[in-house]
Amino acid sequence: MSITRRNLTKLAAASTVVASSSARAQQPAEVVFGLISPLSGPWAKSGDLSRKGAEMAVADINKAGGIKALGGAKVRLAVGDCGDSPEKSKNAAQRLLADEPNLVGGAGAYVSSFTLAVTEVTERAGVPWFTLSYSDAITSRGFHYVYQTSPTADAQAKAALPTLLALAKAATGRDAKKLGIVMDNTASPVSFTKGLRAGGAEALGMQIVVDETFTPPLSDAGPVMQRVRAARPDVLLLLPTAVPDIKLTLEKMNEIGLGHGKLPAINNGGPMGSPDLLRVVGPDMLEGVMFITATWGLKGMEALTEEFRRRTGEPWITQDSLSNYAHMWILKAAVEAAGSTDREKVNAAIKVMDDPEIAKFFPGGRVKFDEQGHRVGASLVIAQWQNGVPVTVFPIDRAVAQPIWPGR
Amino acid sequence: MRPDRNIGRTVALLGLLAISWLGLAGSVSSPYYLLLLALVPIWALLGVSWNVFSGYSGLISFGHAAFFGLGAYCVMIGLIRFQLTPWFGIPLAGVLGAVAGAAIGWPTFRLRGNYFALAMLAYPLMLAYLFGWLGYQELSVPLHREAALWFMQFADTRVYVLIAVVLLLVGLLVSLAIERSRFGLCLAAMKQNELAAEAAGIDTRMWKLRAMMLSGSIAAIAGGLYAVVVLVVTPGSVFGLVVSAQAMILVLFGGAGTLWGPLIGAAVLVPLGETLQAQLGSLLPGIQGVLYGCVVILVILAAPEGIYWKLLDRTRRSDDVRIALPVPLPPVARVAVATGPVLLDVAGLGKSFGGVAAVQDLSFSIRSQEILGIIGPNGAGKTTLFNMLCGVVVPTAGEIQFDGDNITGLPTNRVARVGIGRTFQVVRAFARMSVLENVVVGAFVHHPDDNDAWRAAADALEMVGLTPYARTLAGRLTNRELRLMELARALAGGPRLLLLDEPLAGLGANDAEELIAVLRRLPATGMTIAIIEHTMPAMLGLVDRFIVLDQGRLLAHGAPSEVMRSREVIEAYLGRNWEVVDAAA
Repeated sequence: MSITRRNLTKLAAASTVVASSSARAQQPAEVVFGLISPLSGPWAKSGDLSRKGAEMAVADINKAGGIKALGGAKVRLAVGDCGDSPEKSKNAAQRLLADEPNLVGGAGAYVSSFTLAVTEVTERAGVPWFTLSYSDAITSRGFHYVYQTSPTADAQAKAALPTLLALAKAATGRDAKKLGIVMDNTASPVSFTKGLRAGGAEALGMQIVVDETFTPPLSDAGPVMQRVRAARPDVLLLLPTAVPDIKLTLEKMNEIGLGHGKLPAINNGGPMGSPDLLRVVGPDMLEGVMFITATWGLKGMEALTEEFRRRTGEPWITQDSLSNYAHMWILKAAVEAAGSTDREKVNAAIKVMDDPEIAKFFPGGRVKFDEQGHRVGASLVIAQWQNGVPVTVFPIDRAVAQPIWPGR
Repeated sequence: MRPDRNIGRTVALLGLLAISWLGLAGSVSSPYYLLLLALVPIWALLGVSWNVFSGYSGLISFGHAAFFGLGAYCVMIGLIRFQLTPWFGIPLAGVLGAVAGAAIGWPTFRLRGNYFALAMLAYPLMLAYLFGWLGYQELSVPLHREAALWFMQFADTRVYVLIAVVLLLVGLLVSLAIERSRFGLCLAAMKQNELAAEAAGIDTRMWKLRAMMLSGSIAAIAGGLYAVVVLVVTPGSVFGLVVSAQAMILVLFGGAGTLWGPLIGAAVLVPLGETLQAQLGSLLPGIQGVLYGCVVILVILAAPEGIYWKLLDRTRRSDDVRIALPVPLPPVARVAVATGPVLLDVAGLGKSFGGVAAVQDLSFSIRSQEILGIIGPNGAGKTTLFNMLCGVVVPTAGEIQFDGDNITGLPTNRVARVGIGRTFQVVRAFARMSVLENVVVGAFVHHPDDNDAWRAAADALEMVGLTPYARTLAGRLTNRELRLMELARALAGGPRLLLLDEPLAGLGANDAEELIAVLRRLPATGMTIAIIEHTMPAMLGLVDRFIVLDQGRLLAHGAPSEVMRSREVIEAYLGRNWEVVDAAA
């Protein structure tokens, strides 16, 4: 029967009574994915970027025809704000489960302690949950429904220096021998460098020539950076976590002529590539600075990056957005494979999944999860600030730009 | 006589509230609402803890997160490191909290007022860094799929509500016991005026320490249960400024210094904050904090002392009946009493503040059952002398003998206990307490048994003619009645020597006469009085003997008639020119 206007009118008139119920019975109205993210408080910017990534994924999934295995059912994203504490995170997770009884799975909640609290709830309810947080604690609890797409903190600490050395070698053809460390004494850099000092650096044929730890806030970066200049390391791990300290150390580096990549300096973590940092510190100071993260805008996803910029107005896609974009696609693939919105079936589908397409959103490894929920082969990206934009420079095959590295 | 007639009613009301809360939990099945139903009593318990210390004693603590966090970490580390069940971990947290209360309180009580509050701020900050440094950045409760009950991991989260309500109930009963006992009255007295409390014989440091230990223990228990319910502990989430502030805001919002304050605060603010977070958090991130702040500000503006007191004032205003005017005691002439042996002997007493000698080489004595007037121009050193006699100020020279014992340099509350009572130049009433409660604080010194103390307080009220006002709030008294009440407080302790610092200040002639009538009767009861006063005519008819101070030295002493004619005295008071007038008269 061809659809004409008359037919349509008739159809509408005849079916007003039965339409809604019968239509709903034939296909699931919607599939609900969840995102819990810090939308208020100190981590609000990262939370917002996470949300933008997830929203874009859901829009793309629906544009591409929704969940085909369920007759093209549309995906709806339910968002919860986990604020600034584990308590609020737990509340947000309970609320999301109460408001969305049909929730299939979800992702969040950026800060590792919030993720711990959220997953305590989702695990008990049997909701498959994805996270970009690094903490080892997340996947060491013997949980069955939690999946970590980033390398864990331990794995990162182990992989970071070899990754960096591989980049140095690729850029200059020589091995880097002398390592410098400048850091504050907060938890993240302390755990990151612990292994290096305890023989990790030597095992890689590196010598730590300068090792400076300060208690934030730093009042004057002069003495610290002078010692760095005197020691002449080949590579500097520059690990302050507070923005004012990052600014001070970078200013001093530029002042004494080590900026703009003359001394390769590298930080750890996605926040080092945030648009906010650019606004505070400025493109000139950041030029040449590198950072290690779990994923970044990679070669082969230029169209996605461009689309993200167009839709959100953000200058580039960050790890927060990209990871959650991928999380939604993983959930979608699992629902397709399960052919159901039943959480147990979806979770079982995740456990056997090995999806080469979605794996492209990450620098290495597969979208396949081991017993504990780690993504198999998860590895690292090195991005570098070049002309006011952080661009991926490693791994080489996924890099979008050549690294600025002296001696090239 | 003690005002605990409605304690049964209060307990019954608490029980009813607890049962309805549990009933609510029984009828709800959403884990989200059950979580809220468990978090409200936990935060209320932290509020109770803060109230036990700061609400009753008035020493503001910005640092209750220290205890809360220690409790949370105690339970968490116990679970992770030692497989210790929270059933033991939470009581252990209570013990740890009390120890921490003593360890924090002992050095910090040296500071007063704002300095104390600020110092308290430092402890949770310090502990947050310490636990971070120890590597406890984030701890989560290990999931125990077997032996779940032993590890307090209930599939039915209603049990958490039950535990939280039971612990809160215990906290409230402790709080109630404090409010209705010597403990609470002593704390309340310290809150209004620490010096007056010391002068009434209360060992303020001791009571503060007890309050801090009890409060720390309750806060740590709340923290321990919080860890079990929220499952994740980070230094920021349990030692954070927000936690200390939460404790304070809940109580100030509901009403400090009352059992109901933390309950009202937690029952309103915790769900409000969470609802705002839930409804607005994802729409307009951050707006929930702004609205929450606005609500708190509005309520504080409308009811600065908290909702409870505001409601109480509303209901009391209607039935505020002044029972009857007290019958003015008939003026009596001084009942002649033969003065006895020397009670207080002061020899060579001196006090210098830096280079300024407030009192120098002062020697005099007071005989038993005597009324001694101490006069002198402003700055003569009268109040400094009083302060030395009752231990507020330590003399730099000389010795004070009381009934043959050397009491020089004893702390104020000890001086009060040997039998020296005092009143202050400015009346220090405990405004929120009834007249009888105000007075009983003074009676505790000499009456270890509470019933005796209430009886002594009633007797003291009788003596000053304030019996009809026994149940009126002190805040509603006139100046004259306040003076009488303060006198009664001093009398209730049964002092042998009473030091009165300008008891007639600010009173009209008639009112003064009434007070003097009361004072005149006292020596007959065996009491000795030293009185500082400026109102000369009143003094002339009252005292047996004057000593006159000028610039810290003893200028003259003797019977009123002699002293008033003394040239030096007139000169000191009025200047040289008056001499002539006097001579002419």
